[in-house]
Amino acid sequence: MLWYKSWREVRNVMLAGMGAMAAACVLIVWNEKTTRWNADPQMSYVAYVWKSVYNSIGRDLFAMLAIILGSGGLLQEKARGTSGFTLSLPVSRLRIVLTRAAMGYVGVLAIAAVPVAVVPLASRYVGESYPVGQCAGFFFLWAGAGAVFYGLTFLVAHRIESEPVAVLIAVPLLMLYGAVLKLPWLARLRMFDLFSILNGEQMPFFNEGQHRLVGPLPWLALGIMLAIGAAFGRAAARRMEPLDF
Amino acid sequence: MIPERIIQTSALTKHYGSFGAVDRLNLSVRAERITGFLGRNGAGKSTTIKMLLGMVHPTSGSGTVLGCRIDDRRESIEIRRRVAYVGEEKGLYGYMTVAELIRFTRSFYTDWQPDVEKRLLAEYRLPPGRKVKALSKGMRTKLALLLALARRPALLILDEPTEGLDPVSIEELLQTLVTAPAQGTSVFFSSHQLSEVERVADDILMIDRGSAVLDMSLEQIRENYRRICFGFSTAAPPMESLRGVEKVRCEGRQVTIVASSNSEAIAQMGRERGAVDVRVLPLTLREIFLETVEERNRQDQQRHREREDALV
Repeated sequence: MLWYKSWREVRNVMLAGMGAMAAACVLIVWNEKTTRWNADPQMSYVAYVWKSVYNSIGRDLFAMLAIILGSGGLLQEKARGTSGFTLSLPVSRLRIVLTRAAMGYVGVLAIAAVPVAVVPLASRYVGESYPVGQCAGFFFLWAGAGAVFYGLTFLVAHRIESEPVAVLIAVPLLMLYGAVLKLPWLARLRMFDLFSILNGEQMPFFNEGQHRLVGPLPWLALGIMLAIGAAFGRAAARRMEPLDF
Repeated sequence: MIPERIIQTSALTKHYGSFGAVDRLNLSVRAERITGFLGRNGAGKSTTIKMLLGMVHPTSGSGTVLGCRIDDRRESIEIRRRVAYVGEEKGLYGYMTVAELIRFTRSFYTDWQPDVEKRLLAEYRLPPGRKVKALSKGMRTKLALLLALARRPALLILDEPTEGLDPVSIEELLQTLVTAPAQGTSVFFSSHQLSEVERVADDILMIDRGSAVLDMSLEQIRENYRRICFGFSTAAPPMESLRGVEKVRCEGRQVTIVASSNSEAIAQMGRERGAVDVRVLPLTLREIFLETVEERNRQDQQRHREREDALV
């Protein structure tokens, strides 16, 4: 039942996030003609979707929601006064923290999955088509990079009691990480540039002309990102063990 | 099997930086008894309880609850499985409804009693569909009590359980506590309501500044604790320090002694010293508590003043 508690904790943000992502995708698709005409009449529909969903609004919304989902946990419970009840349950702190971490990440995956369902369906409604395979590819990219966004915020939230402060610290940390990876001598670590992974830009698996994912996805890099996210979760749990509540 | 001493601590200590919350505390709580845990605000009661349940890690010393070591992570889980606890804050998940929180809590325990849950739900008039955050403080306290009492725990630990309850609910709770030992549940509860403690407790444990200052059964306290007043016709002579003398106060021709035992011999000493008026009076728990902490309170205030003067 710890799953249930964690689900209830992330439910509102997750459902609101899914709703916001779905609304953003639908609005982008519905306004495609006006926006495309005003921006660049020559732009293909696929390029328009990529630029609007995977390279701006959708991507930014996803990153923000992954960070917000990561900002809960035992320290926030302490601030709310419910940690006494949680810690009196016959379960270890490790299990409490890891369950919350896993459930939050399920929320991240659910938000990342919204465009997979919404974009192709809405496209059909306006007489266009966007391949499900493209959406699925971006889902995996978002799942990998999202694990790091989420995991880092989760770790910060287990060091700082205030939810907003955890978010405010995680955002510049991630921006700093992105900036560092832009350094020329770190060019070979490009696969770990979270922001480029999210939209595929300048990546070998992305065709800049067609605005499509073309090559095999960087599964190793995505796996490492997942492992990093999991390590952040484990570190958060370890941080909780010696604390007094 | 439940050990004879359900809670035992040895030199249990907790420091927060330079502040000593609990200082070499030795506890020994008997099984199938109701033990009242008393002390001033900040005396270390809640910290002690949290150490027993693994929420706060001791700085040094050791302890066992139901035979399980409090500083061992696995054994601490076993402690929490067999102990029902109602914390001082009564902080429950505001986003769940009463029914959801009951269902959630029930899933962790095999000793849950649905009939008791139903009875308490009706007795406390808790609306199952209402969100916990919409409940009043008193109702939240009742819900926290329901979650603890709907089980058959070996030990019930309550931190200020009557806080926020109306008189009828307090009465019902006290009745529940009184019947708990007969069902195999020992009760360890902290309270500032000394009259309530005096009504239901079998044993009294008083701590101050993190150390035990009184550990006795209520029966022994009633039998042994006395206020002995001597009236002299001239200035009071110095009093010999006999066994059982806890405190001596001299005001002109009057001498007042608080004795924890040996009151007959102390009274006899007063007569031998020429007291013209000797009165031996029983003490209430409230009076004992105040006598015990008053002196320390004065010392604390004096120390505080000295520190402030030094700063100026």
